[in-house]
Amino acid sequence: MLLDLGITSGMQLKQILRLSELAQKLGLKYVWLGEDISGHHDVFTVASYILLKHSNLNVGIGITSPLIRNITTLARASVSLAQIGGDKRFRLGLGIGGLQDLKNLGITVKNPVSLMHNATTLLRRIWKGETVSFQAGAGFTLQRYHPSYRLSYQIPIFFGVRGPKLLMLAGEIADGVILSGPKTYLMKAASLVRTSLQKRPEASRDFPFVVWVPTILTEKPGDLKLVKRIVAFVLADTPKKVLEMAELNLNEIEKIKLAFRNEGISKASRMVTEGLIEEIAIHGNPTQICEAFKQLEKLGVQEVVFGPPYGSNPEAALTKLAQTWWRSS
Amino acid sequence: MKFGLGVNANETTREIVKKSIEAERLGIDYVWIADVPVQLYAPTVASAIAANTRKIQIGVGLLSTFLYAPNHIANSFATLIEAYGERFELLIGPGDKDQLKRVGLSMAHPVPDYILKSKHQIEKTLSKNTVKGRIWLGAQGPKMLKIAKFFDGVLLNYAHPNLVKWAINKIGRVKTKRFQFGVFAPSYVYSDFDQNVHGFLRISSAVVALGAPRTILKRIGLHEKIVEAKKKLDSGLAIKSILDDIPLKTVEFFSIFKPSSQLGTYLSELSKMKVEHMVFSYPQNFSEKTIKELAQALKSIKEQ
Repeated sequence: MLLDLGITSGMQLKQILRLSELAQKLGLKYVWLGEDISGHHDVFTVASYILLKHSNLNVGIGITSPLIRNITTLARASVSLAQIGGDKRFRLGLGIGGLQDLKNLGITVKNPVSLMHNATTLLRRIWKGETVSFQAGAGFTLQRYHPSYRLSYQIPIFFGVRGPKLLMLAGEIADGVILSGPKTYLMKAASLVRTSLQKRPEASRDFPFVVWVPTILTEKPGDLKLVKRIVAFVLADTPKKVLEMAELNLNEIEKIKLAFRNEGISKASRMVTEGLIEEIAIHGNPTQICEAFKQLEKLGVQEVVFGPPYGSNPEAALTKLAQTWWRSS
Repeated sequence: MKFGLGVNANETTREIVKKSIEAERLGIDYVWIADVPVQLYAPTVASAIAANTRKIQIGVGLLSTFLYAPNHIANSFATLIEAYGERFELLIGPGDKDQLKRVGLSMAHPVPDYILKSKHQIEKTLSKNTVKGRIWLGAQGPKMLKIAKFFDGVLLNYAHPNLVKWAINKIGRVKTKRFQFGVFAPSYVYSDFDQNVHGFLRISSAVVALGAPRTILKRIGLHEKIVEAKKKLDSGLAIKSILDDIPLKTVEFFSIFKPSSQLGTYLSELSKMKVEHMVFSYPQNFSEKTIKELAQALKSIKEQ
């Protein structure tokens, strides 16, 4: 199993660079870059920066939504990154996007399964150099579109999705999956993808399962506050279906969501119980976190992502975690 | 006067970077990265160029405000500046109508209002990120020229001195000192003529003519012929197959096609009109040889 670094495009560029540099020094191979839709950086430009600065790191965008850009922009930005990285260093993670972010942009998702199916099919057809005509609403309508750019390899498409139908679709058409959510949910989600993946045995041999859950190094009692805030934040954006699959108390969570909406994250985080923390986040000292990560291997997970908020000192947290990881591997 | 080389036309990122390094070595001031929906994504290409060069200024665009949301444009520009320093300039505009149609987009009307609104949103986002940079407008027709004065400069998408003069008169006096006039056009400045490159210039000039506003086409007496050619293009024919229907005059009006010995006279004429920025775009970037031919021509003009 691999330990990856997770960062988001909303972070300070200096911090992104410092953490990526550290990841490379510590022997990590993959960085996943999540798109912060309301942030102030362009996810593709940030990805190019990491690829250009750190030649030993592979970069994945994990994830961006096909709802917020024209599909051709996604296609050609990905090809640019594949060309910049060379040697199969770029992977593209696609997902619907955070519910709250999409709502803020006035975007409603009507048929997510068809959306993800169309996006994946179109990207692959464009990347093959086909002349594509397609009619499927805003951002997905193409008329005799023929790309002039060339692709050095087939960019792997990872699905970062949560609902059961989308997880099944991931098994059917994606090249890998990024799972995130409560631990009980993760077991069920991995199983759904695996079931669907059985339909194409040729793909199942090389189909990475990646898990990215909030992970925080907690070394002093005050650090738990940060964990609670993250859990409240995650819960506020978790769809009902995921919560049901996780067998969580929906009434309890509805109250937290309500508090988050009306009174802010501080109030909501005070309502987060220990049980919820255990389900949603991975926290503890480096040894405890590494052990929790290794538990995920039983689900067939090949990569685990150590992502924000990391701990009170992100760089120190990454160093300690990676060193412990290598010692225990 | 500053000089730029247009890139990002059927090239790989590696080829673009190599040509940009060469352009910098040869003393060209700017490299401008075109951005149309069938080519590579300009901001990431800009990033690759910046990482591999030291001082050459990098122009990004034309980024169509109908293809990109203003915050996406602002964020990519801000990221580049934050990562590599203040070496970037931005060119926005409506973009090519036909290209937009191919990716399912149409222009919201009135176009100039929409562009201005997008520009204000871009500036607002940039100022939140405490980032500053020159924002150019890409323009051709009278409606777009009317809003040029609200930008830091205008890059005109035609090259004939008469058209440039007409556009500058249309814009009128601009109070802002920072404002600049420029030309961004398909180019072939040569010392060793290559028929092949001239063929590409013909196609590029035809593409610009096919997207040009009626006012411009009428002004140069090409409206009817271009409308006929456009009909054929809309019916699904490839541009190469309708090239004979497009008058050769399009090269004269929309592109810079000169032997290096005549470039000086042309630039001096534009300079008298207060044009301060010249972008020699595809197919001038066709090969290192064509880039060198341009650079040598510019060098000998500077030395005179």
